[in-house]
Amino acid sequence: MPVPQQLARGDRMGRGPYEKSGLIEDTGLPPARPVHERFDILYPVEEVEEKGKTISKPLVHDLDIEVKLWYLPFGSMNFDPFLWREFNKTVSISQQGK
Amino acid sequence: MIKVITKAAVVAALFSVALAFPAFAEKAGIGWDKTIAAKSGKAKTIAELAKMYDSSACIECHQDQYDEGQKSIHSRSIFGTGRTAMTLMTAIENGLMEEPYSGVKSPKDVKVEHLMGCAKCHLPQLADAEDSVAQELVTTLYSWKEARKKKDKEAAQREEDKLKSLNISCLICHNRNAITHKWQDGYPEAGVVYGASDGDHPSESFPMMAVSPIMSEAIQCGQCHGLGPNLELDQPTQCCTSYGSYLWAYKSEVGQDSCQECHMKKSKLGHNIQGYRDPAMTDAAVDFRAEAFGYYWRDNRQIVPKAVVKVEMINRCGHSIPDG
Repeated sequence: MPVPQQLARGDRMGRGPYEKSGLIEDTGLPPARPVHERFDILYPVEEVEEKGKTISKPLVHDLDIEVKLWYLPFGSMNFDPFLWREFNKTVSISQQGK
Repeated sequence: MIKVITKAAVVAALFSVALAFPAFAEKAGIGWDKTIAAKSGKAKTIAELAKMYDSSACIECHQDQYDEGQKSIHSRSIFGTGRTAMTLMTAIENGLMEEPYSGVKSPKDVKVEHLMGCAKCHLPQLADAEDSVAQELVTTLYSWKEARKKKDKEAAQREEDKLKSLNISCLICHNRNAITHKWQDGYPEAGVVYGASDGDHPSESFPMMAVSPIMSEAIQCGQCHGLGPNLELDQPTQCCTSYGSYLWAYKSEVGQDSCQECHMKKSKLGHNIQGYRDPAMTDAAVDFRAEAFGYYWRDNRQIVPKAVVKVEMINRCGHSIPDG
């Protein structure tokens, strides 16, 4: 969203039309320009001893991934959040190999 | 003798002008005296202001468009979902009353000029009203709030209905705000409905139609949907900025569609002009693609299994989203 400057001065965001003026930045999606987001999610692991070595082993091999694009008209999930798009997939990693 | 008669005639003429336009200072342009506001004189009450731009007669022939318009938030522009009404009061308390030079110590001091920061878009016709209307509006807002607090549903509904009686009615777009460049195209005249055609219009109160040069242009919507700070005001405000984004991020670099093209035509919503609250708009607005996969990543000697999620979003709107 356009982050408005408080009374068009300084580094504070304005809230309420009476003190909003100008922009500090726009965190919204600009027209026609692809916006990419990347998330790296680590699997939960446990440390185990194997052949005299301490190694990390995944606790699970499947992760349910849920990506949701929310529009928060009032900046918070507590008031009128709007779910714009959603993506679901179960991601699996192999259980064999070294 | 001739001189005396001439002087008397001039005085009489000035007096008659003063009677015809009792509450408006004379403007520079030609034809402003033919506007609805100039012909009516400034409204003194909410009821008078509502009547000045009453569009109920439009229903007779334009029922579908009227019904569509009623679904749009334009039909309750100062009430909104209730949040707009609350924000007006916040603007009085946290804005005007805290500003040392506003002249507002309490809501009782609020005048039309104080409210125009909000009303410029939420109720542009407030400019055609006396300060008594600003006061009645403020009183109604606080009565509504009080009734809600007391859980007096009947009183709350009564005040809500009064607030909703002032809105962006048919005549705001099709008359009052139908011409932006008034020195070039003339002032919008009382009795004329502005749209796509010229000619007779079968209505007693609006017997003529005329072409609005901007009705299908983005600037029609841009009058309210914001360039940024409203610097023409003594105390600038800022709310919507989508017209600014439309001009500089979309029109200049991406495409040529107007606001009406997407919000009214392609969406098939007509006068039910909507944003994110309608699936026709949200479905068309954003391309959203995601992919996810897992693998064992090596961090030095450690094996770290992880999932990678990649998301691509492309905004297909004519402005940045969200806006506000």
